This record gives sequence, structure tokens and C-alpha cells, in this order.
Amino acid sequence: MLYVGPSLFGFLIGFILGTRIKEDEEVKFPISSYIVILIAAILMAWQLGPFPYYHDLPLASGFIAAFVGIILGRIIRG
Amino acid sequence: MSTILKIFAFPASIIIICLGISTILGGHITPGGGFQGGAIIAAGFIFCAIVYGFENTPFKFTHRFMATLESIGAIGYILLGLAGLLLSGYFLYNIGVDLYNLLPASIGSVFNYPDAVHAGIIPYLNILIGLKVLVGLSAVVITFLEFKGE
Repeated sequence: MLYVGPSLFGFLIGFILGTRIKEDEEVKFPISSYIVILIAAILMAWQLGPFPYYHDLPLASGFIAAFVGIILGRIIRG
Repeated sequence: MSTILKIFAFPASIIIICLGISTILGGHITPGGGFQGGAIIAAGFIFCAIVYGFENTPFKFTHRFMATLESIGAIGYILLGLAGLLLSGYFLYNIGVDLYNLLPASIGSVFNYPDAVHAGIIPYLNILIGLKVLVGLSAVVITFLEFKGE
């Protein structure tokens, strides 16, 4: 079972920060860059592992939730 | 700044910000917490601001945005403290996620963090402090970057 508290608030903080990402002509990253960042984020979350007493996923769920929040914030409001 | 740095900085700052959020969320049970996590998030923003310059940084932290985050952090902290004062008689008393049995267990279980001692409101205090520290450190660097000299 996924613990809702850390995932929800990780997503919220990430979403708030993701809404502030506004790329212009000088700083422009294609979708392929975000896919590479996603792979790096999953690898890093795997290496970080879950917090003690968290037995929901074998990776840092707050880290992944924050990344998903940033990307969704960038897509929806960025 | 060099092209290599400009390619590297933005993706790295996203990872740094995720690590900062993860540090905030685990502050009650692992090393770190609101201050450290907020400082890591601010470091991600500062990294981009220095590499791309404040005008061209992809993270556009406006004055209004920062004021809102700072206000949420301060007011939320005071409200959690006052809730403890009202329900237990002590300011910032850890009243738990069910607010001294005011909330049903189904709602309390959603906001409960799994740990040995049941941290209660400590993770939420960490989140609010993290917002304040994030804004505070970013504001210092923005002030330095915008300084044009006399």
C-alpha cells in the first residue's frame, strides 16, 4: 500500500515549483531531455531507497512524487 | 557560462530540488528536515540563476510567488502551534494528525506518516519550515544578483 501523506505533499511541493518553470528561447529543453532526467530520477530514487519503516515501494516514493509534480506543473501551468 | 554548464544545470537542478523535497518529507525520521531540505531546494534554484543569469533562468520566482510561499509557511506554522495551544494548553504541542480525536480515523490515517513513534504534526512543521527557508535563501541570492552597483 502506498503511503499517501509523503507522496501527496511531495507531489504538491513539486507541482508548485514546477509551475514556475518557464523556458524561453535561450533555455529550451526538448522532451527527450525530460525522459533522460526521468531515468536519472528513477535510478537515484532506487539508490536512495525508502525511508525507515516505509514498506510500500523499494524506492524513495517522495522523491518520485516530487519529480512527477515538477513535470506535471511544468506541463499544466509552466 | 559555458555551453556544457548550460546543458547540465537545468536537469541537475530538477534532481536537486527533488532531493530537497525528499529530505523535507523524511525530516522526522532521517537526518535532515525542513531547513536542510529548503536549503537544498534553494540550491537548485541558485544553481540555475547563476548559470543562466537571473533574467534567463528557467525558474521564474516572482516577488508575489515568494511572498505567497513565505506567508503560507509562517501562517501555517502559527496555526499548527495555536491548534496545540487550543487543544492541549501548550503552544506547538504535537496533537497528532487526528487533532486530538477531532478527525475520524479514516482521515487521520491518510495524513499519518509510518514510523515507530508516530510523528504527528512534525512532518507538516518540516514542510512549512522548508517553504520559508526555500524563499529566504532564494531571496538573498536574488538580491545579490540584481545588485548593479553604484
